[in-house]
Amino acid sequence: MYAIAIHGGAGAMPRDRLSPEAQQRLHAGLQSALDAGYAVLERGGSSLDAVTAAVRVLEDDPQFNAGRGAVLTRGGTVELDASIMDGRSLRAGAVASVRHVRNPVELARLVMEHSRHVLLVGSGAEEFALEHGMSLVANEYFRTEERARELAIVRAGSRVSELIPVPGGTVGAVALDRDGNLAAATSTGGMTNKRHGRVGDSPIIGAGTYARNGVCAVSATGHGEAFIRAVAAYHVCLSVEQRGLTLEQAVREVLHERIGALGARGGIIAIDARGNAVLEFTAEGMFRGCRDSRGRNEVALFRDP
Amino acid sequence: MSCGLTFRALRALLACLALASAGASAHASDERRIAIAVHGGAGVIAPAELTPEREASIRAALQAAVDAGYAVLEHGGSSLDAVTAAVRVLEDDPQFNAGRGAVLTHDGAAELDASIMDGHSLRAGAVAGVRHVKNPIELARLVMDKSPHVFLIGSGAEEFALAQGLTLVPNEYFRTPERERQLERAKQSERAGGAKTSATGTVGAVALDRDGNLAAATSTGGMTNKRHGRVGDSPIIGAGTYARNGVCAVSATGHGEYFIRLAVAHDICSLVAYRGLTLDEAVREVLHVKLQGLGGDGGVIALDGEGSIVMDFNSPGMFRAARDSSGRREIAIYRDR
Repeated sequence: MYAIAIHGGAGAMPRDRLSPEAQQRLHAGLQSALDAGYAVLERGGSSLDAVTAAVRVLEDDPQFNAGRGAVLTRGGTVELDASIMDGRSLRAGAVASVRHVRNPVELARLVMEHSRHVLLVGSGAEEFALEHGMSLVANEYFRTEERARELAIVRAGSRVSELIPVPGGTVGAVALDRDGNLAAATSTGGMTNKRHGRVGDSPIIGAGTYARNGVCAVSATGHGEAFIRAVAAYHVCLSVEQRGLTLEQAVREVLHERIGALGARGGIIAIDARGNAVLEFTAEGMFRGCRDSRGRNEVALFRDP
Repeated sequence: MSCGLTFRALRALLACLALASAGASAHASDERRIAIAVHGGAGVIAPAELTPEREASIRAALQAAVDAGYAVLEHGGSSLDAVTAAVRVLEDDPQFNAGRGAVLTHDGAAELDASIMDGHSLRAGAVAGVRHVKNPIELARLVMDKSPHVFLIGSGAEEFALAQGLTLVPNEYFRTPERERQLERAKQSERAGGAKTSATGTVGAVALDRDGNLAAATSTGGMTNKRHGRVGDSPIIGAGTYARNGVCAVSATGHGEYFIRLAVAHDICSLVAYRGLTLDEAVREVLHVKLQGLGGDGGVIALDGEGSIVMDFNSPGMFRAARDSSGRREIAIYRDR
């Protein structure tokens, strides 16, 4: 049994403002990320490689708020955060506020595998990237016309959710490989018009990302501050491990009770040790997909298909 | 929040009136317990290297920090104010690895991290990689109280500090000759193929106030000779710091990477909340089973909703102190003293 689930962010997604063509493009983007990760698992690759591959596709796709096409800060630049965790060894890597790394999830992976650290931030993370042979890109690489318009609209005082047709969000993936190893990864540009230096839950192990073999792998998206305060991703795992909840119960409780109690919304994808995937959200919609060796292969954008 | 403050003010007023009418000897027997614990880092100096003068000086500093926090609680102040006050004292004391006297990075600069959490509202604030904020714990508190965010890093955190009226200090303020010598030794050891870094002296505090509110705070300079941009567990909510009313408040110190991977502070609280372990059992399981199993070392101070204090570590020692309204007063460094 092997399986993968991905998300491309949760949020307010008024269906009527998304043209059929736009919906189709999102579907296609999600499906190709899902397939990239699944292909790794199918040929016997690791869950770590699978989540890295899936997230990389989503980072490269400008429709989503990660890598190219990430949202812009108040200063009009892009600041990216990402993390990854290996459920087998409990090793983890994360980066925050990087501005010149094409695929932040790959840098998070390098931090995990080639440093003794878990979290590197800012220019220190980029120095590490250079030392490990990554070529940096100009911040301009990440900027798209659409995000520049979005920033202008938000600065003019409107809420993104009211005006922007494609609020494609934070991306993430969770996977179980043939060897029973779980892994999770998350990558984001954060919030549109965010303050320089603001870091949400995506690069925080335990908040946006967590994985532990035999228990579950989790990637979250939504109002990052609430997910940090609720230690959301780890809380899903501990509820399965320590309280005997099913994965679905654990995910629902975190979203509806813990995150809900803080007045926030979002979504979580998770996968347990038997390959059961849960894709749950309290926002209007969540761009998501899952595929497993039992034949499940789904991509969806809204609550109703 | 304003309701809470008003209630507190009213309660203080009523307490004053009661005291005035009953005379100075009146003792509110139903008064709720207050408690505070502080740490100045685990992985302390080997007993042989700790001169009597140095030990006395460290003990005095721990005493001053715990007393500063306790004074806040005694006057009816909040646990948030108490942990802030205690940590500020430790940040200002160059003997500890936080604020002035923080360890130096590989580049010879101080890069500071801190976090704070309010167990009542589950609000939290944290900063990382700041180089010019005299008391990082105060900036973490400002992030919690005055921003919609939880975590701000680097120059963005410092811009926020300026916007909030904090005065910045040059990085030189934090440097001490002793930390420069430590950095030099660490680099020599690195060149000789030995340990590249060492972690000592993170500070933290946990407190319970009269209203039953728990709070936790942690502040650090990280590891000697650390890579620019490396962030440990201290500013990570759930790893180095966590507080939830009725359950527990935790501040951790040690090899930060391991504490992040195990979400140590939150895990201790969850074992208390969901598995019904006592705080002591929960701390022991996380430190001596889970953390040790992964190869990490360090310690935690923790406090539950009833005011029970646990201070434990799997390293040679931990600078620590505790004080509560039932008369407990303790300052210790090693396991037995």
